[in-house]
Amino acid sequence: MLRYLVRRLVTMPLLLLGIVTIAFALSNLTKGDPLISIIGERQMDNPEIVAAAKARWGLDRPLPERYLRYVGNLVQGDLGISLRTKQPVAKDLMTRLPATLELVLAAMVVGVGGGILLGVIAARYRNRAADHAARFVALIGSALPVFWSGLLLLFVFSVLLGWLPGPGRLDARLTPPPGVTGFYTIDALLAGDFTTFRLALTHLILPACVLGWAVMGIISRLVRSSMLDVLAQDYILAARAKGASGPRVLVNHALRNAMIPTLTIIGFSFAYLITGAVLTETIFSWPGIGSYTVDAARSLDYPAIMGVTIVGGSAFLLTNLVTDIAYAVVDPRVKLG
Amino acid sequence: MNRRDLISGRHLGWALAGAMLAMGVGGLPAMAQDKPLVIARNMDINSLDPHRGFCDTCQIYFSAAYDTLVGLGPDNKTLTPKVASSWTVNENQTVFTFKLDPKAKFSDGTAIEAKDVKWSLERLKNLKGSPAFLMDGVKSIEAPDAQTIVISMDAPNSEFLGMVAAPYMGVINSKVAAANGAAAGADAATADKAEAWFLANSAGSGPFTLASYRADDELRVKRNGAYWRTAPALSEVVIKQTKDAVAQAQMLQSGAADIAMQVDGETAKTIKGGDVVVNTIPSYNYVYVALSPGAKSNTVKLTPEVREAIAAALDYKGLIEFTVGDAGRPQPSPIPNGFPGSDNLPEPKQDLARAKDLLAKAGLDKGFEIDARFPNMNVYGVDLSQMMQKVQQDLAKVNIKAKLQPLTFTVWREQVSGDGIPLTAVFYAPDYYGSAQYVQYFAMIQGGPWAKRAGAANAPDIINPREGDLLKQALAAPADQQNKLYRDLALEMIKDKIIIPVVSPDMIMAHGKAIKGVRYSACCNLPLDEISRN
Repeated sequence: MLRYLVRRLVTMPLLLLGIVTIAFALSNLTKGDPLISIIGERQMDNPEIVAAAKARWGLDRPLPERYLRYVGNLVQGDLGISLRTKQPVAKDLMTRLPATLELVLAAMVVGVGGGILLGVIAARYRNRAADHAARFVALIGSALPVFWSGLLLLFVFSVLLGWLPGPGRLDARLTPPPGVTGFYTIDALLAGDFTTFRLALTHLILPACVLGWAVMGIISRLVRSSMLDVLAQDYILAARAKGASGPRVLVNHALRNAMIPTLTIIGFSFAYLITGAVLTETIFSWPGIGSYTVDAARSLDYPAIMGVTIVGGSAFLLTNLVTDIAYAVVDPRVKLG
Repeated sequence: MNRRDLISGRHLGWALAGAMLAMGVGGLPAMAQDKPLVIARNMDINSLDPHRGFCDTCQIYFSAAYDTLVGLGPDNKTLTPKVASSWTVNENQTVFTFKLDPKAKFSDGTAIEAKDVKWSLERLKNLKGSPAFLMDGVKSIEAPDAQTIVISMDAPNSEFLGMVAAPYMGVINSKVAAANGAAAGADAATADKAEAWFLANSAGSGPFTLASYRADDELRVKRNGAYWRTAPALSEVVIKQTKDAVAQAQMLQSGAADIAMQVDGETAKTIKGGDVVVNTIPSYNYVYVALSPGAKSNTVKLTPEVREAIAAALDYKGLIEFTVGDAGRPQPSPIPNGFPGSDNLPEPKQDLARAKDLLAKAGLDKGFEIDARFPNMNVYGVDLSQMMQKVQQDLAKVNIKAKLQPLTFTVWREQVSGDGIPLTAVFYAPDYYGSAQYVQYFAMIQGGPWAKRAGAANAPDIINPREGDLLKQALAAPADQQNKLYRDLALEMIKDKIIIPVVSPDMIMAHGKAIKGVRYSACCNLPLDEISRN
């Protein structure tokens, strides 16, 4: 296991370099001029302003030189300055990453927790009312577009009923808690500010439910199907024959084995939620990586696009590694090497 | 976990409801009377440095944090004293002399002197940032004494005073800014290192100072405690990043925001409740279609007759109805309604018979195909894709087949300035009060931005020499003659049929009933210092 881990970690930088090279080439060869986001559309006709901006941002240099300079800076941990926000990309990402992670982790709790629960209920009560209800909830979650369900839930729970707050991580009239982790809920707790904690948590509920709902549908259907397969196995019958209680058979024997294919999906769900956060972040004015990525792509903000690609690529590689390790932990038959 | 826990969704629901009640999610703690004012809008900030930034939200922030020499009154026409208490202009509109108000001071309490003004305007020019064009034609800036600033121009420019009211002309505390990397000399474009500093600090004399800024999240300003004019009523204002118009409206209705600035007409109709006021204000912004006779992909020659036929084929009333409902108005020329020269111009009307007749005379009665590429965006509540679909339908009635192709803004910009686009659509908003900016941008003057985009290099006959002459006269004319000259220019630009305005969308300002003093300014978008809460 250790040798496997070391080998994967050693190959990771090479894979990342490949990602960086492809992303750099693609983003710089895309049609369009990023100068618009720096000097505005109208000044693009002013050669003096255009030349000054190009020189300032190094866009007057040949592409290979820019690539080598970028990789050289990257090795030193410098992701460059965003053409759009005018701040270091690393700082932008550090500010936005916790917002997205807080949202995605909350959505994972909703999606994975809810999905497993619904899947187990559906399998346990196959073709009965509970099964139909669980499948209906899952189907709706998978079928509804996030922008629609987001606006609908906002309207119902925030505007109509007033139970939950509107968009944003926190009420705009409040000052966010001192940044330690960047997670407002945790930072508020660390600061002993329970009012802010409560408000940050309530702001999290709607976007997490909207984002997690889609994943909930996928996971519940997979869990249901796996559980039905497992529940038909002989060893389940044997466990029951030995007098194991229903819940014990369901959780310890059936669910644990049914989780193996689900783990892959959970791993991919994380990546899915990160990318799926784009629309949720837009609807809920959530200042995370998703909306940052969209804005960066729209304005051809090369440094930001590269920064997001590197972070996303690293996250994907790490998630894959963790998923592979989790296989081995959950199923002793799986050997890594 | 036992079986009951697993299946008891009912218990889970009650537990969730209980937790929500315990957390008191139904309301926020009581706020002080002077709680921060929250404005929900899609921020388009590209810098907080007043000499680099150039955007609608920048206008709001810069005018709040940096006083200019002169201001623009509530009528959006009259210039009012700000840092300068008085000013004079020589007869041929080339020398502008400003006397500074001796009471004027920066937010750190130091007096504003002429050297600060000179430094600021020179920095604006030498930085070569987005708003540097405002200093085009400025020959020299002199500070003969601490209270006097003299600006000389290369050529007459009767609009310069209006340009001075633009928020990008804000006066910066030169000592503070220079200490943090700002430079104003001839090498400022490379020597200035202050842009990052301006993202976290302000150094002006406006009614507010920058409290904090988180890109794509919020911009927070607080009352300038040392403000030398009437202090603003509000202690703090937060501009909250809210991209979507529906989300802006929902924030307003739920009380999370006090003002929603970019609500479109359709969304405004859904805003209910007695605590919200929805004001529809005529704006100076507009959306237009443009023709490029010199574009490489033209299938036929876009002669004046063909251009006129295209303009006559458009159903202007229908386009307004289709794009913004009743929240917009027609605009006859590229000079917007309400600006000098826009009075009593002939309103654009659909005339299909005339369009067909013109096409027949041009030998195109069987029609032709035209490339129609445009930015795929929603601006001022107008979805350009939808608008162009209606344009396509209108043109089809005279056998012109428009091939629609939406593009990202950056790609559109590259194409429109490259090979040109035969038929396109885009938008414009003023930078200050004055009509010359429209003539310089849209008229068929040699070297003008739209003359280039319309393909003057390939189709030199589109250049209209009369427009260049009229503009020169207007810039040198005394105030009482300017209106007529700009009207003549507007008529010439209508005749060009290169820029065909479609709709001037109304600005919809939705705000809480307790909020007073919300108004639209031609220079500054939303003057924060005039807003108060009952």
